[in-house]
Amino acid sequence: MTRSPIHINRHANILLLLSLLCVLSLCVSCSKKPDTGQDDKVTTLGSIEVTAQLLEIRGKIIDDPLYDYAHVMKYKVLQVHRGKVDGETIYVGHYNPAEPRSSVADARVRDIGGNLRRFKATDIHRIALEVPIDDYYMGGIINKYFGESEDPIYWALWTNLVIK
Amino acid sequence: MEYLALDGMFFEQGRIYMRVWQLAFVLMIITGASLQGKGAEQEGRLFAESNDDSSTVRRPVEVTGLSNEVRGKGWIIYSARAGKGDWDLFLMRPDGSNRRNITNTPMFNEGLPRFSTDAGRILYRRIGVSESFDNNLHGMQGELVFADSDGGNAEVYGGQGEYTWASWGPDGKRIACMSVKGIYFVELATKKVVGHMERRGFFQQITWSPDGKWLCGVANSFGASWSVARMEIATGAANAVSSMNNCTPDWFPDSQQLIFSYRPADQEGSEYGWTQLWMADAEGKHRSLVYGEDGRHVYGGAVSPDGIYVLFTGNMQEDGDASGSGAPMGLMRLRDTPAIGGDSKALRKLHGSTKDGPVLVLPDGWEPHWTYCELGAAK
Repeated sequence: MTRSPIHINRHANILLLLSLLCVLSLCVSCSKKPDTGQDDKVTTLGSIEVTAQLLEIRGKIIDDPLYDYAHVMKYKVLQVHRGKVDGETIYVGHYNPAEPRSSVADARVRDIGGNLRRFKATDIHRIALEVPIDDYYMGGIINKYFGESEDPIYWALWTNLVIK
Repeated sequence: MEYLALDGMFFEQGRIYMRVWQLAFVLMIITGASLQGKGAEQEGRLFAESNDDSSTVRRPVEVTGLSNEVRGKGWIIYSARAGKGDWDLFLMRPDGSNRRNITNTPMFNEGLPRFSTDAGRILYRRIGVSESFDNNLHGMQGELVFADSDGGNAEVYGGQGEYTWASWGPDGKRIACMSVKGIYFVELATKKVVGHMERRGFFQQITWSPDGKWLCGVANSFGASWSVARMEIATGAANAVSSMNNCTPDWFPDSQQLIFSYRPADQEGSEYGWTQLWMADAEGKHRSLVYGEDGRHVYGGAVSPDGIYVLFTGNMQEDGDASGSGAPMGLMRLRDTPAIGGDSKALRKLHGSTKDGPVLVLPDGWEPHWTYCELGAAK
């Protein structure tokens, strides 16, 4: 028994419609709503709050559950919301950067967090900060800018992703 | 016939006597073996195989000589799992004999014991039995406790999380501590802070030198994480002693050298690498291997009060000392080092001229410390 051309066309149309729906749903899910990264925490924690672009993650982010550490990253400051920063470029230490910010707080470092899931160069972050890092954090620091910059290292308390 | 009958009885009686003697002999053997077992246990499981297939160097004759040599040289204090599973403090002779639990506190875990210079007192940290010591945070955990060297008169000093990374001063009257706010010195009798200095990137395991002039610790400040560094107390001047992947530094008695753990990068056959015991002059000009073994992470380096011997632990798991049950402790003469344990083919390629002297394997423990003083109550 063979199918009529009408049946074949109907099936083809359904498949086409389904494909279009899939593509449409993917587009909807990929397009993210603009987000300034503002929330209750980032606007109140620490003495400094900036929106800044992550320029570089120098060195490999180590994911070693045996060792906790802060990794120093280079940012370009786009806007200062609170407090004062020295210059357009700042160096920020993020605690255990392999962890999503929402689950990074632990027994050693309690009052940190944010909605950022993964650090990626060129992303823009809204960050609550303190400075210098040594006044707020006592632990291992990976600083690949040692000897290159005398600028103070900032300590990231709350880090949210900004979506333009 | 009577003779024969008598003779037969004689043989019958003889058989009975033989049986009695055989039984007595078997009993003697059993009793002897049992006593020997107890003796070995009391002797601190000397030469016993460790729980995890120890492959450390064993040369029984040389090891026996080493054991005899150190037996009367004071006491070693360390923390270890007790029968109930909690961490307690133990004393033993340096050959592993006369081992005894001096805290016996099933409700607490105790660790990081250190003798004062005259060994009159010890300090250590104590946490609840439900908590675990963390290899990188232990100096900040729980409470600081002082006690007599036999564990008596234990006295909690301050509250939870206070007097962090406490280290004895040479006079036994002050301690150096470190918090995020800096390094500070406390007069024990009054609890007054009698000095303060910046910590300059030091972040864990500070130890006050025997001559009172220096601190050593683990620091960030020298372009590499987990550097072992030294700081002069009078000036705050600091220098790196060994950079990258170092920890648990301790002083030689001359205050001019440090012993510490170091995990060299790019080790052949192991992506993560094995942590080895190293020593260096305190200016950081020259460092050298003391003991390494592919397959073991060597921590807890402590030098004897005369600088002749060295103690350490060898764990098959990284950071396994605190999170597990400690690890077999090893004791060596420093003059017999550098030494490499086991096959360690890659390590032997790097260090061709090792001496591989005898290692006296001691019971499982964590962070041992040694005094040559006699402890009154512990004799």
